[in-house]
Amino acid sequence: MTNKVKVVLGVIGADCHAVGNKILNHAITAAGYEVINLGVLVPQEEFVNAAIETDAKAILVASLYGHGEIDCRGLRDRCREAGIEDIRLYVGGNLVVGKTDFKKVEQKFLDMGYDRVYEPGTLPDKVIADMNEDLK
Amino acid sequence: MELKNKKWTHDEFNAIRQEVLAQWPTGKDVDFEEAVKYHENIPAKRHFAKRLVKAKKNGDTLTQPRAGVALIDEHINLLNFLKTEGEADLLPTTIDSYTRQNQYKEAQNGIEESLKAGRSLLNGFPAVNHGVTGVRRVVESVDAPLQVRHGTPDARLLGEITIAAGYTSYEGGGISYNIPYAKSVSLERTILDWQYCDRMVGLYAEHGIEINREPFGPLTGTLVPPSVSHAVAVIEGILAAEQGVKNITLGYGQCGNLIQDIAAIRALEQLADEYMTKHGYSDCVLTSVFHQWMGGFPQDEAKAFGVISWGAAAAALAKATKVIVKTPHEALGIPTKEANAQGLRTTKQMINMLKDQAFPLTSELQAEIDIIKAETRCILNKVFELGSGDYAVGAVRAFEAGVLDVPFAPSKFSLNKILPARDNNGAVRLFDVGNLPFTPDLIAFHRDKMAQRGQAEGRQPSFQMVIDDIYAISKGYLVGRPR
Repeated sequence: MTNKVKVVLGVIGADCHAVGNKILNHAITAAGYEVINLGVLVPQEEFVNAAIETDAKAILVASLYGHGEIDCRGLRDRCREAGIEDIRLYVGGNLVVGKTDFKKVEQKFLDMGYDRVYEPGTLPDKVIADMNEDLK
Repeated sequence: MELKNKKWTHDEFNAIRQEVLAQWPTGKDVDFEEAVKYHENIPAKRHFAKRLVKAKKNGDTLTQPRAGVALIDEHINLLNFLKTEGEADLLPTTIDSYTRQNQYKEAQNGIEESLKAGRSLLNGFPAVNHGVTGVRRVVESVDAPLQVRHGTPDARLLGEITIAAGYTSYEGGGISYNIPYAKSVSLERTILDWQYCDRMVGLYAEHGIEINREPFGPLTGTLVPPSVSHAVAVIEGILAAEQGVKNITLGYGQCGNLIQDIAAIRALEQLADEYMTKHGYSDCVLTSVFHQWMGGFPQDEAKAFGVISWGAAAAALAKATKVIVKTPHEALGIPTKEANAQGLRTTKQMINMLKDQAFPLTSELQAEIDIIKAETRCILNKVFELGSGDYAVGAVRAFEAGVLDVPFAPSKFSLNKILPARDNNGAVRLFDVGNLPFTPDLIAFHRDKMAQRGQAEGRQPSFQMVIDDIYAISKGYLVGRPR
């Protein structure tokens, strides 16, 4: 058994963008974490179940296709109901339809209960640095 | 139903049709006889297949954007804007991602939330929910050839509704709308479901209505080597033609090296002609589509215009029949209509300036064409062999064996063994050929190309090189060199 910190990774909703998911999986694993990668097309419930089953410290949600606003709403409540209210929630990608001021997008997702919100074009290194601060 | 590359009988088709039309309440409004009469009155200038044939004859490259929003009136405004302000020749209707996963309830919720919010919360047009009457309002309000563009593994009901409503072109295929767009839907399932779509188009053809079909060329859109996407394109062309489709557009996504991109379009046209003729489908009219760079874009709009222009130039010099256009907002998601029109106008200017220039058939270009054709033949011939003479069966077995393999695909039915990277000139090669059935010469060709680049950069080809290449264009380069 390893004692690496575990994180759940996936692309939420009806989104099937797989490239960034594969790269994040590679980079976060290389940084010393154990990644439970759920891949694409992941419902909220599956994120929560995977986090409970593996005792993960964070859920990393990606959304690239514009439906992020609808898909990501309610994940924090679902975690609370499942008894993992303290888990860290990260979200990133192209979260809303249309070019929007990122500050507004960030506030919207912070209000939804996410701890960290990443803008388009964020590199894996930035996420890993935050993980090292938050989770270790 | 057993999977075979064999034209479905009317009885086989009709037995399933009732089931398909019952998948959502709007399905009951599809009336095939009425739809045929409706299509008979669509003028030639709004007819996708006819417009493509004319462009091919004249050596023109037509422009087409991607676009779709949740609500009917907003969608009509968007398309008309792209025609008038973007000078688009062909128009799309991009379908939202819930509809693509047959989640019509979620799509309905998206329509209602969009009404409330006063802006589209869906990334496309939910055509199934809008039904034949709603979709026909779009058809009758937009004066250009219209195509459905999506990414739907099971697109049978969507096809029935949009074609009955008067769309004259339908994108997709049993492989190209599965491997990049699904996680766990079997290939048998999607090839059968797309035989249904092709048979439906074939039925319209039997009634004198020509609908254009377009397999999705770029697949995952990320460093896909031309031979990999060409093999899929030719197979999907054959599968469509067998079901009675008479007008097919085969596609390719820009890799970024000009010689390779021009060679890819030429090789695709030559291979498609060769294989379609060899298997008895020479009555099928073939055209080509070039997709501007499908991978990550620079956030800086000025730099994005550079990428767009380069794609426009390659499409024009390759003499593709049409080009699918990107926008300066690509790095940030779905564009505004203004940004979309800018991408179109940038492309149009390039195409017009290059229209009278021919790219010479140099020895480098011919060598690249020969390589792509040799690789594609290796794959196609092995697929045919694995299927004992049947491309549908062969495709399923080929994916199991890694004979067909698409890099970075989300589907668990793709082995994901091959790994592409750029060579020292930016052409996309393979640093791991996986189980692709290449000859020793072709394997050595790729190994040498990768070694050359490794030497120039003072490092061994590795997964880091692949990652560097994936990010390179968004960071302002083509080749992801250590910097």
